[in-house]
Amino acid sequence: MPGLDAISRGLMFDSLKQYAKRRIPYDLLRELDRKNEFPADILKEMYDTDILGIHLLLIPSEYGGLGGNTFDITRVCEALAHIDLGIATSVFATFLGSDPIRVGGTEEQKRHWMGRIAKEALLVAYGATEPDAGSDLVALTTRATHVVKNGKIVGYRITGNKQWISNGGVADVITILAAAPGGPSWFLVEKTAEGFSANHHEDKYGIRLSNTAGLALDDVYVPADHLIGGVEGQGLLQAQAVFGYTRLMVAAFGLGAGWEALETAIRYSQQRIQAGGPLSKKQGYMLKLIVPNAVKLEAARAYIEETAHRLDGDEHGLQTEGAIAKLSATEAGNKTAEDAIQALGGYGYTKDFPVEKIKRDVKITCIYEGTSEIMEMTIQRGRWQEHLKSRGQYYEGQAAEMDRLQAECPSVGAGSAALALRALNQVLEQVRLQRLTRHQHVSMRLGELIAQAETAAAFARAAAQPHYSESVRFDAEAWQAMSRVYAREAALDLCLKGTKLILGAGPLPEGFVQALGLDAALAAQAGSLEDQDLIARKLTEVFKSR
Amino acid sequence: MIEITSKCTGCSRCVPVCPFGAIHVADKKAVVGEACTLCGACVQVCALEAIEISRPEASADLSAWKGLWVFVETAPVLKPGKGGHLEITDAKTLKPVTHELLSAGRKLADELGQELCAVLVGDQVEGFVDELASYGADKVYLVQDEALKDYNTDLYAMVVIGLIAKHKPNIVLYPATYVGRDLAPRIAAEIHAGLTADCTGLSIKDGLLLQTRPAFGGNIMADILCPNMRPQMATVRPNVLRKDEPQPLKKAALVRETPKIDKNVARVKTLEKRITAVHGEKKIDQANVIVSGGRGVKTKDKFKVLEELADLLGGAVGASRAAVDMGLKPKTQQVGQSGTTVMPRLYLACGISGAIQHIVGMRASDVIVAINKDPNAPIFSVAKYAIVGDLHDILPRLAAGLKEKKK
Amino acid sequence: MRTVVCVKQVPDTTEVKVDPQTGTLIRAGVPSILNPYDHFAVEWALKLKARHGGEVTVLTMGPPQAKAVLQLALALGCDRAMLLSDRAFAGSDTWATSYALARAVKKIGKFDLILCGQQAIDGDTAQVGPGVAQSLHIPQITFCDSIEVEGRKAKVQRHIDDGYEIVEAKLPVLCTMSLPHAHPLPWPSFPKVAQARSKVLEVWTAADIGAEPEKIGLKGSPTQVHKVYPPPLRAKGTVFTGSASEMASKLLDILRQENFIKP
Repeated sequence: MPGLDAISRGLMFDSLKQYAKRRIPYDLLRELDRKNEFPADILKEMYDTDILGIHLLLIPSEYGGLGGNTFDITRVCEALAHIDLGIATSVFATFLGSDPIRVGGTEEQKRHWMGRIAKEALLVAYGATEPDAGSDLVALTTRATHVVKNGKIVGYRITGNKQWISNGGVADVITILAAAPGGPSWFLVEKTAEGFSANHHEDKYGIRLSNTAGLALDDVYVPADHLIGGVEGQGLLQAQAVFGYTRLMVAAFGLGAGWEALETAIRYSQQRIQAGGPLSKKQGYMLKLIVPNAVKLEAARAYIEETAHRLDGDEHGLQTEGAIAKLSATEAGNKTAEDAIQALGGYGYTKDFPVEKIKRDVKITCIYEGTSEIMEMTIQRGRWQEHLKSRGQYYEGQAAEMDRLQAECPSVGAGSAALALRALNQVLEQVRLQRLTRHQHVSMRLGELIAQAETAAAFARAAAQPHYSESVRFDAEAWQAMSRVYAREAALDLCLKGTKLILGAGPLPEGFVQALGLDAALAAQAGSLEDQDLIARKLTEVFKSR
Repeated sequence: MIEITSKCTGCSRCVPVCPFGAIHVADKKAVVGEACTLCGACVQVCALEAIEISRPEASADLSAWKGLWVFVETAPVLKPGKGGHLEITDAKTLKPVTHELLSAGRKLADELGQELCAVLVGDQVEGFVDELASYGADKVYLVQDEALKDYNTDLYAMVVIGLIAKHKPNIVLYPATYVGRDLAPRIAAEIHAGLTADCTGLSIKDGLLLQTRPAFGGNIMADILCPNMRPQMATVRPNVLRKDEPQPLKKAALVRETPKIDKNVARVKTLEKRITAVHGEKKIDQANVIVSGGRGVKTKDKFKVLEELADLLGGAVGASRAAVDMGLKPKTQQVGQSGTTVMPRLYLACGISGAIQHIVGMRASDVIVAINKDPNAPIFSVAKYAIVGDLHDILPRLAAGLKEKKK
Repeated sequence: MRTVVCVKQVPDTTEVKVDPQTGTLIRAGVPSILNPYDHFAVEWALKLKARHGGEVTVLTMGPPQAKAVLQLALALGCDRAMLLSDRAFAGSDTWATSYALARAVKKIGKFDLILCGQQAIDGDTAQVGPGVAQSLHIPQITFCDSIEVEGRKAKVQRHIDDGYEIVEAKLPVLCTMSLPHAHPLPWPSFPKVAQARSKVLEVWTAADIGAEPEKIGLKGSPTQVHKVYPPPLRAKGTVFTGSASEMASKLLDILRQENFIKP
C-alpha cells in the first residue's frame, strides 16, 4: 500500500502536536487522570475533520478516509503515545473495532460502515474479550441465535457479557464477537440497540483517560446484514488476520510512551546539578538509566518499521513479526518509564512530573492485544516451525546475511548480530535434540531470545541504510553506535541465557560452548563503553534542556 | 544611466515626482535632464515600466565613496492625556539612538580619516543641528519640507536615495527602529547596497566597516563585511552602543539640500496614530535601573515586591520571556532578543535563569546583579554580583532595608 | 483579490543551542518550521480571501526540502505554490533574495497584495519585505497587525513607537506582518493536508524567472559573512551565598558601593 508521503505525514503530526500543546496541556491530563475521566470533547475534536480528523488516517480512501498504510499508522500511534496513551487507546479502539469490517466485511458493509465512521466520526469499540475469554477466544460464551421469519434468517439475538472493552461506555458502534450457530462471528451492534448496556468506567492503574467498560448484551436484536461478511463462523479467522499490524500499533505505543519518558529524563538531566555538574555529564547516571533504554527503543523502532514496510509491501500475516515488535517495544517502553522515574529521583515519584503517569500508562501495552507472555509463546511457536522446516538453515541464512552486511558496512554491529543469530541457532538445535520444548518455561524464554536476536539483525540492517527513516532523530554516527551496542548485548545474552536454559533442563553436550561462539561474543564487547559515552553525548544534543 | 524606453507614452506622471525637476515631456516621451541623480523616484510611479536605471558597478571606483553618515531619527514629544494615556504633541526631539550612532560613528570616522555627517530630514528641524554637532557631526545635510514633518517611507526613501546618489557616502548608519528598519532596506534595494540588520557592534577592519550582529535568536554572533559595493549600510540596535558626553561648543557645517518634494510620491497615508503607552508606567528602554523578574517569581502577586524595589530605586520593572509567557507581565516589559534590548546602569535579575535570548538583551548593562537559587544558572555568567538564594526570602528584606534608609 | 505570500523555512531557533566547547551551532534534532511571522501572513492572506474571494499564491526560495512549508501553506488553504530552487541562489543575502523573489512575483503575474512576515526568526533582518516592495516599485507597510481591504484600498494597522497607527494605501501594496504575542497560529486538519497534495506546486530555477546571474547568489549579494562565533560571556563575577538576611544586607552593600543609594 502506498500510503502518505513524508511531508504530509510530518505536517499531520505537527498539527497533532500543536493541537495537543494548545488543548491538552499536562495539567489537564493530570486532572483527567486523577478524576478517571474520558475526555469526550477532546476525542470529538480530534475526529472533527475541520480540526484534526485523525480517524480518517485509519480508513481506506475508497471509503472516504485518507488511506494511511501500516507505516503511517505506526507513526501516528507513536505520535499519539507521546501525548497520552489513554487518548491514543481510544483512537486505537476505533481502528481495532472497525477492523473486522475492513478485513471480513462485504463490499456493501464496508461502504456503509466505513463511510459512516469517516463522515460521522463514530467512536467504535472492539468487543472480543470476555470475563473468561482473553487471548483464548475459543472459550467465548456470548451467543447469537437466529431470528427466522418466513423460513429466512432475518436477524440475530445476542446475549452475553464482554469485559475491559476500550471505548465500551462511549462507542457509538461496537463490533461484538459472538458464537453463532455456524461458529464464532462478528456482529455490528449500535449503542442504541435495546438490551445493550455498558457498565461503569473501570478504575484502572493507568490509561485512565481511556474509557474501559464491561458490556452487557441481553437479547439484543441485530438485523442479518449486521453479521460481518454475511457468513457465520469466520470470526476467529478475521480476528487473527489483523494481529500482525494491530500489534505493531501497540508496539508503536510502547515506543512513543517510552521516548516521551526518556526525553523528559534527558532534558531534566541537563538541568539538575549535582556535585558540581549536571547529571547528563555523569557517566554512571547516563549509562545506567538513559543510554540502555534509548538503545532498546531505537532497536524496537527499527524492527517495527521493517515489519510495517513488509506489510505495506503486500506481505501478509507476519504474526510472529508483529509479536516480536510488540514484545521488544512495549517491554522497552515499560522499562524506560520505570528508569525515567528513577532518573528524576524524588521529582519522578511525584505527579508534578509526567513520568509516573507514563509508567502507569505504558504498562497496559505489555498487556492488551496479547500479553508479553502470549507474545513469547507466539514467537517461539512461529519460529520453532521455521527452524524445524529449514533443518536449522533459517537462522544460519540470516546470520550469513549479517556476515555480508558486516563486510559492506562494518560499523553497525552486523557481526555481533550474526553471532547472536548463530548462537540462537545452536540453542534451538540443542532444544530440539533434548526435546526441551516440553518445558513451557524454556519455550517462552526462547521466544524472548528470538526477539532479541532478530531485533539486533533488523537494527543493523536499518542502521546501514544510507538514509534513515524520518522518524530517526539521530545522525548515522549515533544510530550506528546504538546498533552496535544492541547487537553486542544480544550476542552475549544469546550465549549466556541460551546456555543457562539448556543447563537448567539437561546436560550440556561437549563442545557446545565453543560451537555457540561465546569467545567471539566476549571479544565483541570491546569498545562498548566508548560507544555508550558517544550515545550519551548525542542524546543530550538532540534533546536539549529547555 | 537612466533610459526612457519605447514603452513610454508621455503620460507625464513622472514629471512632478522628480525631486530634482530633471524630467520633462517632449514629443509624447519623457526626457531626462542633467539634474538627474538616479534616485529612482520616477521608476516607482511609472505604470508602464518604461524607465530603466542602471547604476555603474560601485566596484569600479570605491575610493570615490567617502564619509560616514548617520540618519537622524526624530520623535514626537509625548504628554499625558486623557485616561492616563500619552498623547503626541507637535514638538519633536532627537531619539537617543541618534546620540549613540553619532558617538560610535565619530570614532569610526576618525579611524577612517573621513567626515562624520548627519542626515537630518523633517520639517522645522534645523534647531537640532547644534545638538548633532555636539555629539560629533562634522557636517549636517538638512532637508526640510512641510511634507516631511512625519516619517513616510516613499518620501524619505526618495530624499535619502537622492542624497546618497549625489554625495556618495562610504557608510550610512540607521537606527534599528520601526523607522530605520522600514527605510534602510528600501534604500538598499534601490541602489544595490549592502545592508546589515540590527547590528550590536561596529568597527573598522582593513578599511571596511565590520558589522557585528546576533543571529539564530542570539545563539551566535556574525561579523559581516561589504567589500565590493557602496555605501556600506547598517541598522544599529538602540541601547547597545555607548553615547559620549556631548561637546556643546563643537559646530558642524550645514549643507541645505532642497529637492522638490511632491506629496503625491507618498503612497501610504497615515490616518491616525494611537499611543498605547500609559503615563506613569516606566518604560524599560530608557530606565537607569531595571528590576527584572523571571520564571522564578512564579506569580503576578509576587512581582509586587519587584515593583516596590523598582520604585525605591527609581527604576522600571522588566521581565524575561518566560515570565511574559506565563502572563506575569505585559510584552512591553520583556527584555531580550524577542523583546527590548536594554542598557541600564543597574540590572537586577531576579529568578531569571538566563537563556541566551535574554542575555543578549541585557548584557550591555553597567552593573548586573543576579539572584537565583541555582548556583549554575547561566545568568551568573554575566553578573558582576551573583547572589545564590531564594528571591522570595531576600527581596522583601532588601525592600525593608531600602525603606529604612529612606526614612 | 490576488495575493502572494512570501514565506521561509527556518530552523526552530528556540531549539538551537551552541556547543560551549566549539562555539558551533548544534543543529542535531532541530526541526525545520514555517517562519512564525510568515505563518501569520499566510493566515491573513486566507482571512482576506475568505472575505473578498480571489486566489492566494505562496512563494518561497530555498532547497528542495522547503517544499514542506509550501505544503503547509497549501493545506491551510493557499491555492498554489512556487518554490525557487537553484544552486545559483546559494549564498544570497537579503538583497539578492529580495531581487529573486521580486522576479518570481513578476512571473506569477498580476497581484493586488503581497504579504510577508516582518522578519525570519533565524536571521531577524526584516529586510526582505521592503526589498521586494522596492524591487517591484510598489508601496510597503511594515510591522502590521491587521489589514482591511475596501475596494482598491487597504487600511492597515501597524506598529510605531509606543503604539500603533492606521495607514491607508491603494493596491497593490506589500505588507509585512508582525505576530501578536501568544497568537495561536492555524494548523491544518489531516484531510486538508492530504488534499493539498493535488494542488499546484511548481519549482522554478533562476533561468525560469529570468534572473540576471550577477544579481543572485553570492555574486549578487553585497554583504558577506566574515565570521561566526558564540556570543562572548563576561568574566565571572563575585558569588555570594548565605542566609536570606545576609544576602539582603549584601545587596544593600552592593547598591551603596556602586552608588545607586547614598551611603
